[in-house]
Amino acid sequence: MKVLTFGWDFPPHTTGGLGVACQGLTRELAKEGVEIIFVLPKSQPVEGDSRFIFADVEHMVRTREVTSSIAPYLGSQSVLDVYDEYGVRKLYQNTLLDEVHAFAHKASQIASEEEFDLIHAHDWTSYLAGVAAKVASGKPLVLHVHATAFDQAAGDNVDPAVFAIEKEAFASADRILTVSHFTKQIIVEKHGADEDKVQVVHNGVDTTEPKTYEPTLQELREQGKRIVLYHGRITIQKGVDYFIQAAQKVIAHDPNVMFVISGKGDMTGQIMQQVGALGLSQHVLFAGALWYEERDQMYQSVDLVVMPSVSEPFGLVPLEAIQHGTPSLISKQSGVSEIITHVLKVDFWDVDDMANKILAALRYPVMHNQLVQEGKREVSRLSWKKAAQKVVDIYIRLLKWIT
Amino acid sequence: MLTVCPYFHVHQPYRIKKYRVFDIGKDNQYFNDASETDLNNRRIVDKVAEKSYRPMNKVLKELLDTHPEFRFALSFSGTVLDQFEAYAPDVLESFQELVATGRVEILADTYYHSLAFFYSVPEFERQVAQHAKRINELFGQTPRVFRNTELSYRNDLAKWCEDNGYLGIMAEGWDPILGWRSPNHVYTPVGCDRIKVLLKNYKLSDDVAFRFGNKQWESHPLSAETYADWIHAHHGDGSTINLFMDYETFGEHQWEDTGIFNFIKVLPEILLRHPETSFKTPTETITSYDAIGEIDVPDILTWADTDRDLTAWTGNDIQKDAIASIYALEGDVMETGDTDIIETWRKLQTSDHFYYMCTKWSDDGDVHAYFSPYESPYDAYVAFMNALSDLQLRIQYLLEKKRQREQAESEEEVVASATPRTFWGKMRGWLSQCIARILFFINQKK
Repeated sequence: MKVLTFGWDFPPHTTGGLGVACQGLTRELAKEGVEIIFVLPKSQPVEGDSRFIFADVEHMVRTREVTSSIAPYLGSQSVLDVYDEYGVRKLYQNTLLDEVHAFAHKASQIASEEEFDLIHAHDWTSYLAGVAAKVASGKPLVLHVHATAFDQAAGDNVDPAVFAIEKEAFASADRILTVSHFTKQIIVEKHGADEDKVQVVHNGVDTTEPKTYEPTLQELREQGKRIVLYHGRITIQKGVDYFIQAAQKVIAHDPNVMFVISGKGDMTGQIMQQVGALGLSQHVLFAGALWYEERDQMYQSVDLVVMPSVSEPFGLVPLEAIQHGTPSLISKQSGVSEIITHVLKVDFWDVDDMANKILAALRYPVMHNQLVQEGKREVSRLSWKKAAQKVVDIYIRLLKWIT
Repeated sequence: MLTVCPYFHVHQPYRIKKYRVFDIGKDNQYFNDASETDLNNRRIVDKVAEKSYRPMNKVLKELLDTHPEFRFALSFSGTVLDQFEAYAPDVLESFQELVATGRVEILADTYYHSLAFFYSVPEFERQVAQHAKRINELFGQTPRVFRNTELSYRNDLAKWCEDNGYLGIMAEGWDPILGWRSPNHVYTPVGCDRIKVLLKNYKLSDDVAFRFGNKQWESHPLSAETYADWIHAHHGDGSTINLFMDYETFGEHQWEDTGIFNFIKVLPEILLRHPETSFKTPTETITSYDAIGEIDVPDILTWADTDRDLTAWTGNDIQKDAIASIYALEGDVMETGDTDIIETWRKLQTSDHFYYMCTKWSDDGDVHAYFSPYESPYDAYVAFMNALSDLQLRIQYLLEKKRQREQAESEEEVVASATPRTFWGKMRGWLSQCIARILFFINQKK
C-alpha cells in the first residue's frame, strides 16, 4: 500500500505537536508495511538528523519538498512571522493563504507524477493539497484533523477563510480522522461534517527514558518555593489568562508558590500586563520560549505543570511532563484528557477549582507521587503503534469500499 | 427441602461536596452539596426513593401480604436511615411496615458502613452498638446475624461475632474458599463452634443484580420461570440458596424498563409452586440446618470485583493514605468528646469515599464498572483530604481549648488551696488536694 502524505512540518524542524505527531505516525505506518511519500511544503532538514529516529525503515519514506512557506498556527491573512529551530525569526511577505494555495497547486502536479493508492493530508494547511491531489488522481482522500479554526479562535469568532477551507475539504474527503472525540464533536457540530466519515485516532507518544538534567531555578528551590509551570504558546486558545487568575488565588492562600511561564505568542504582552495589574510580578516568571534541553530541564525542576487550554484538540504537554517525572493539571477541554486518568482535571473557566487543585497537588505528597508513578505507567501504554494499526485498518477498509 | 434466603442491602453514604483547599478552616459542612450533581445527597435520596425504594417496597409488601411463606432479610446502614428520616420519612415508614409483618429480619452492621473492623476494633464495636440501638428504636428488633461492609469477612471477624453472641455471619461463597464444595449449605467458621456462616450464591445472585438487564447476556431476557428452574435444579445437592444483593438492584441498578419489578413480583409464587421449595430468613436458615464443614478465610474476602478483596477500596496509594489518615485521628477525636466531631469523623469512614478514589479500572478502561459521583478519583481524594484537614483543625482547636481550660482550673485550685481565708475555703483546698493526690496515684498505677 502506497500513501501520498501531505504535511507541513517534520522533526527536527518543529514548533508544536503536529510535526511530532506526523513523525510518530509515519514511522509506525512504515513498520506496518505502508509505503509513504511524505510531501512537505518547504526545504528543511529531515533526514540525516540524529534525532530522526526511524533510521531502520527510513528507506521506505521518501521526502519530497516543494517551495512554500507555511505556518499553520497563524490566521489566513497574517503576514508570516515564523521562527526557525534556533528561534531566529524569518519574515515572509506572502500571506498564509497564498502559501496554502501554492502548496495545493504543487500537490496537483505531484499527484499526477506519482503512483499511490490513497492520499493522507495532515492539518488544515494541507487540506487543499489533499483535495487537489484527489482531483488530479481520483484516489481516495483521508484528512487528518489535528486542530480546527475553532481551537485557534477559542470561541466562535473564527477565521472565515480557514473555516471555509476546512468545511469544503471535509465535504470532499472520504474519511476524516480526528485526534480526539473533543475535535470530532467540533467538526460534526460546527462544520457539519458527516459523522459516519469521522473516526477518532488518538495520538500516541514516544516514551524514552529522558536524560536527567541538573535542576534549574535552584535559588528558588533553596528558598523552599514550590514551582508551577505553564509551557506552550501564549495565545487565546491556550487559556494562560485563566492560569494567571488561578495563580492569584493560589498566592493569596500560599505566597510560597512560584509560577513560571515558558512560551511566546500574540498574547504575551497582555499576559504580562495582567500579571502586573494583579500585583503578581514577584510570583510569576516569564522564561521565554524554552525548547529541547532547556524545556526538559524545566519539566524536571518543577512540582506541577498546568495546561489550562480553552480548546485543545489533543495536547502533548502533560505526556511530555510525566516522562520527566512531573504530574499535570489539565483542562477537560482537551483531547488528551480522554485517554489519561492519572492527571488532575479542571474546566478551564473554573479558576477556583484550578487554584484548589494546584494547591492540593502541592499539599498532598502521596497523591503527587501516585500521579507520577501511575501516570508514567499509563503513558507508556499510549503507543504510536496502536494509532498506526488503527489507521492501516481504516486505509484497508477505505480501499475495499472504493474499489 | 430447599429454602431460599434473600437478603437486600440498603445503603447511601454522605458524599463529600467539592470541598476546596480555601474552605479549610472556614466551612465545616462537608456533606451539604446543593448542586444538580450526584454529590447532592438529598437529590440522590429523592431520586433513588422514586426509582427504587418506593416502588420496590410496594412490591415487597404485596408479596408478604399474598404469600405467608415469603420472607427475606434487610440490612441498613445508619447513614441511609438518617437520610431517610431527613429527606424521605415515608420511605422509612414503608420499611417499618415491611418489618412489622414479622417475616423480615434485619441484620447487624456497622452504623457508618465502614471498614473499621480492619483498622480499629474498638471503633468498630462502638459503631455496631450504635447501629443495634438505632435498629431497635426504629424496628423493634435486635439483630442476631452479622454482615460487614461490602460483605467483607475474615476468620477473626467471625470469631468476634461468636464472642459477641451472634448466631451467624454472612460471606461471599467464593470458589477459592470453597474448593469443590457448594455455597448452598451452612458452614462453621474456622475457630468457632457456636456460630454459622451463610455463603452468598454469587452466580444466582449476580444473575439478577448485575446481568438481568444486559442485552448481551446469553440468558437475556431472563424470565422468572427460567430463574426458578435454575434454583430448583439445586434440589438434592443443597439446602439453602442465599441470594444477597444491593436493594438498589431493583429500580436503580436495573431500571424499571428492564422488567425487574415484574420479575420479582411473580418469582415467589413460581418458586412456591414446587412443594419442596420455601423461604427462610437468615436466622431460620442458621437454626434449621447443621453445618456440613468449616470455612477458612485468613485474608479479607468481599463481594467485590473478580478479586473478591478490598483492592477497590484500599488498592492504590491515595486510598491507603486517606483511610490511614482517618483512623489515625481516632485518639484525638475521642478525646474531644464532641458529638459533632465524632459523628463527622465517622461519616468520613464510610467505605464509599475510598471506593470513589479507585483507579483499578484505568488498567482495563472499564470506567463504568466503578460508579462514582466524582469526575475523577483524584477529585474524590482532594475533596476528602481537604475536609479531613478542616476536621483536624477543629479537633486541634477543641483540644487546645480543653488543655487551656484544664490548666486554668488547676491554677485556680492552686490559688484556692494556697490562700485559705475561711473555714470552707480551707476545706475546699484540702479536698482538692486530696483529689489531686488520688488522681496522681491512679495515673501512676496505669
